Amino acid sequence: MTVMRYAEALNAALREEMQRDPSVFLFGEDIGRYGGVFKVSKGLRDEFGDARVRDTPISEQALTAMAVTAAMSGTRPVLEIMYADFLPLSLDALVNQASVFTYLWEGQVDIPFVLRTQGGGGVGTGAQHAKSLDAMVCHIPGIKVVAPATPADAKGLLKSAIRDRQPVVFLEHKLLYNTRGEVPDGDDVLVPIGKAKTVVEGKHVSIFASSKMVIEAENAAKLLAKDGVEAEVIDLRTLRPLDLDAIRRSIAKTNHAVVVNEGWTFCGYASELSATIMEHCFDDLDAPVARVAMPDMAIPYSEPLEMAVLPNAVKIAAAAKKALA
Amino acid sequence: MINAPSTDELKDIHHKMVVTRELEEVLGAYAKEGKTRGPIHRCDGQEAVGVAACAALRADDYVCTTHRGHHVYVGKGLTTRGIVAEIFGRETGYCKGRGGHMLLGDVKTGMLGGNAIVGAGIPAATGMALSMQILKQDRVSMVVFGDGAAQTGICHEAMNMAGLWKLPVIFVLENNQYGLTVRQEVQSPVEDLSVRAAGYAMPGEIVDGNDVEAVYRAVAAAAERARRGDGPTLIEAKTYRVKGFSTSDMGGYQSEEEMAPWLERDPIKLSAEKLSALVGADTVAAIEAAARAEVAQAFETALSDPFPTFEIHAPSAAYSETK
Amino acid sequence: MATPITAGAVAGEYMETFVIVEWRVGVGDTVAEGDVLLTIETAKAAVDIEAPSAGVVSAIFAEADSEVPAAAVLCLIGKDSSDVGYDGDDAPVKGSSLSSAPAPAMMVAERAAEAPRAAALSARIIASPAARRAASAAGVDLRAVRASSPSGRIKLRDVSGASQSVPAFAAPVSAGLPADENGPLEVHRSGAKGGTPVFMIHGFASDSLSWYPLDRQLAKDHPVYRLDLPNHGTSPKRQIGSFANLVREVRDAFDTLGLDGAHVIGHSLGGALALALADTRPRKLASLTLFAPGGLGPKVNGDFISGIARASRPDSLAAWLKVMVHDQKLIDPAFANAAFAARADGNLRAAQSHMGETLFADGTQSFDLVAALHRLECPTRIIWGRKDRVLDWHDALQAPGHVGLHFLPDVGHVPQLEAPDLSLGIISALIKSV
Repeated sequence: MTVMRYAEALNAALREEMQRDPSVFLFGEDIGRYGGVFKVSKGLRDEFGDARVRDTPISEQALTAMAVTAAMSGTRPVLEIMYADFLPLSLDALVNQASVFTYLWEGQVDIPFVLRTQGGGGVGTGAQHAKSLDAMVCHIPGIKVVAPATPADAKGLLKSAIRDRQPVVFLEHKLLYNTRGEVPDGDDVLVPIGKAKTVVEGKHVSIFASSKMVIEAENAAKLLAKDGVEAEVIDLRTLRPLDLDAIRRSIAKTNHAVVVNEGWTFCGYASELSATIMEHCFDDLDAPVARVAMPDMAIPYSEPLEMAVLPNAVKIAAAAKKALA
Repeated sequence: MINAPSTDELKDIHHKMVVTRELEEVLGAYAKEGKTRGPIHRCDGQEAVGVAACAALRADDYVCTTHRGHHVYVGKGLTTRGIVAEIFGRETGYCKGRGGHMLLGDVKTGMLGGNAIVGAGIPAATGMALSMQILKQDRVSMVVFGDGAAQTGICHEAMNMAGLWKLPVIFVLENNQYGLTVRQEVQSPVEDLSVRAAGYAMPGEIVDGNDVEAVYRAVAAAAERARRGDGPTLIEAKTYRVKGFSTSDMGGYQSEEEMAPWLERDPIKLSAEKLSALVGADTVAAIEAAARAEVAQAFETALSDPFPTFEIHAPSAAYSETK
Repeated sequence: MATPITAGAVAGEYMETFVIVEWRVGVGDTVAEGDVLLTIETAKAAVDIEAPSAGVVSAIFAEADSEVPAAAVLCLIGKDSSDVGYDGDDAPVKGSSLSSAPAPAMMVAERAAEAPRAAALSARIIASPAARRAASAAGVDLRAVRASSPSGRIKLRDVSGASQSVPAFAAPVSAGLPADENGPLEVHRSGAKGGTPVFMIHGFASDSLSWYPLDRQLAKDHPVYRLDLPNHGTSPKRQIGSFANLVREVRDAFDTLGLDGAHVIGHSLGGALALALADTRPRKLASLTLFAPGGLGPKVNGDFISGIARASRPDSLAAWLKVMVHDQKLIDPAFANAAFAARADGNLRAAQSHMGETLFADGTQSFDLVAALHRLECPTRIIWGRKDRVLDWHDALQAPGHVGLHFLPDVGHVPQLEAPDLSLGIISALIKSV
């Protein structure tokens, strides 16, 4: 085990996969000489050169489309989109190209590319640089979506994503880059895509979260413990394909579900979780599924305003209490 | 002459153009009878662009095309039977009936592929060229796209990066004068879209899109340049769309006066004249008869091929496997 | 037999009480099915209560503008105006105003909260899917099962034979935080038109009423402005992210009044806020009086903070009120009931709990105003009981020389309550000296 920051864990995953497979290359805005605005690709250009660690113009639409066809024709591109807020620019490539040809040209081509991006609020980046658009990408068939919460999962999932045969959207969170955690040593320690992880065991209520919301959910569990409530926190890790078994197991035990996502509430990822639970766990439910997500509005800038809209431990704990009452 | 097609190549090009025309004629007849599904976009009058451009590439080069890409399908070497089977939704189609006439793809012939999002082929070919450059291959990729696609934002983004990184990609702008029903001069302030090449530090060239030799030579030169590592080329092939946008096009915006000179310069007619001078009219007639027979055979076989059966697509599933 | 009319489920799933806005009928009025009987206000929305059947209004149990328990019987509809007997009329849930008689009303509200609500009013059984499955497996008839949840829904725990460990707080508690409310803080004005103004800031889990009788005396010569902090008294309830945010809110309220040369008085948390106000508005203050002010050291009785904010019954509140004072006799049941009446709103308590957790996280005063105390320019007095069990009076010893210190023997955390005359004397002398 080595203690490292989330950003360092991602960097290690990129380095190891580039060393392992010469067809892996990185491209994106400011990722080369500068090492990425969040320093995830720091030092990689020096090691692998300009061709494989490529600074690009500000052209998210074409970059994403190019990632799709570069992946079809022999390479494993890892594209960095600087902010998740720019994902709408990538949508045609994901919705009309990657998704479509995963099915239409199945058996003829694989589309092994990774789109890395980061979202989330809390640091005053304003309405165009703080969103969580998980639901938007999770809506697309054939695209896998992962959102790790810890350095170990960040590294293990990124390595799995790069080796996957399908497109993977890799969602990071700007407030996680500096978090530290133990990461298993070894070049071949992978975290499988499609497997959730129970991070807090409990028997009264299940809280399902991903990315930074896992930390909020863990803190909510601590708040709830003061009231004698034993909350179970499930880190989904992969948003699509979703680990339905893990959800079923937990709700069968707790009979109560709180679903958390930092994105918008209406038609959001939490809504999908809620619908999934209704369909698959209805008879285990002892209360309606509670959604904790962003209010349906643009994210404000001023600190008290931004804090008011972000889901947090207190809101999660309140939702859990309401479900249990 | 440098990069000129050989006589055998001209014969093959002529054969494929006639196959394309015949394919579309028969499809048109089926469409009129209501026996096709969805729209059919015909490239009548534009066959020289797709067929001759593909003829100038190697088998392992990639090409991307549009929703109007029958000439590229045939030009890159796809079988007529596989194309027809796909258009009629059969199991034996290139995409097992999943794609249809606009979204056909075949990795073995390097045809990846048709694309019905206008402009999408441009970054697609650019991305393939990026892959080739990173893998240090001497392959090239080519995109055949229209004057409508040239007005998209992604066209600018992709060409900029192709020029910037000297990617081995050939941009064949098939200027058929129309984006759906709107003429090119209503969509762009410049008549010759090839002037844009200067903005991306690549050569821009105009060729007669109804002249197979002109198209072939330009593409062959561009491919050589790309393989040398000198980067992309923009080739504007001037041509004309004689059959409207699609089978669902009501028409009424293309006048007979406007169309007449283009019909006069039909690329198959021009090709037949040139080829007759080289190999004689009988040989040309035999080529055309063989092409028509091939198409007739393809329809006969494909239409008796089985339909696919539906299966859930596991890689697209929302939930990971449950046990 | 008359039909008893209750608000039923429209009282709001998590409301313990609601307010009667208006009666549309009087005793003796004939009503048809569907006629609106009265309008109530619940969860910030007005709702009409309709007659379930035709008849004559034979009794009305609650007045307009009164706050009544959610399950209270509001009126009766009988055959005629003498038809006043009904099922359950021995149950003590007739509507009665909270404001006029706080103590019995509280008891009523508590019993009402225990009663099943929505389920009793509907033929349809409201039960969770899990409860239904468990009942079916155990052969339990859900019609005989009482819902313990404030939602009125029969839950797994209510089905006998079903084994489920129930969380410790299963009693109806605050159902999470209410939605943030907008709007300025409430400032209660009283007293003389002229004279230098007095601005008073109460402490945590208290409100502007707590200045009684000090404010009455001061009001004789001064305009008196008593602030309600956010989540306290009649001010809006909203999440307070930090002490700095709270200071900003208080300062905004103070600035809005446009007071010049105010005598500012603060108690406990209000003392800390008064200090912070003085630090940023030095020229606006004529004098400063701090009763057991916060912010002068890290120590605070964390159990008191969480306990008093959460107390959901007059008894439990009384226990914490007794921690505040030295002379325990001051906290008699009447006092506790009156104090609780001001805190009957579960949302208010939830909001205060959260505010307490934020400001006094880890049982610590993380805001430090010692430096501000040393920067003070206006005449200042600190009044503190030597028997204070909430904050440590020794903290006042850090004050600079020009601040007058009054340490009162046998007085706890609330000198203005425990030694009102002495407190008033100190303030009056200070004001006169300016």
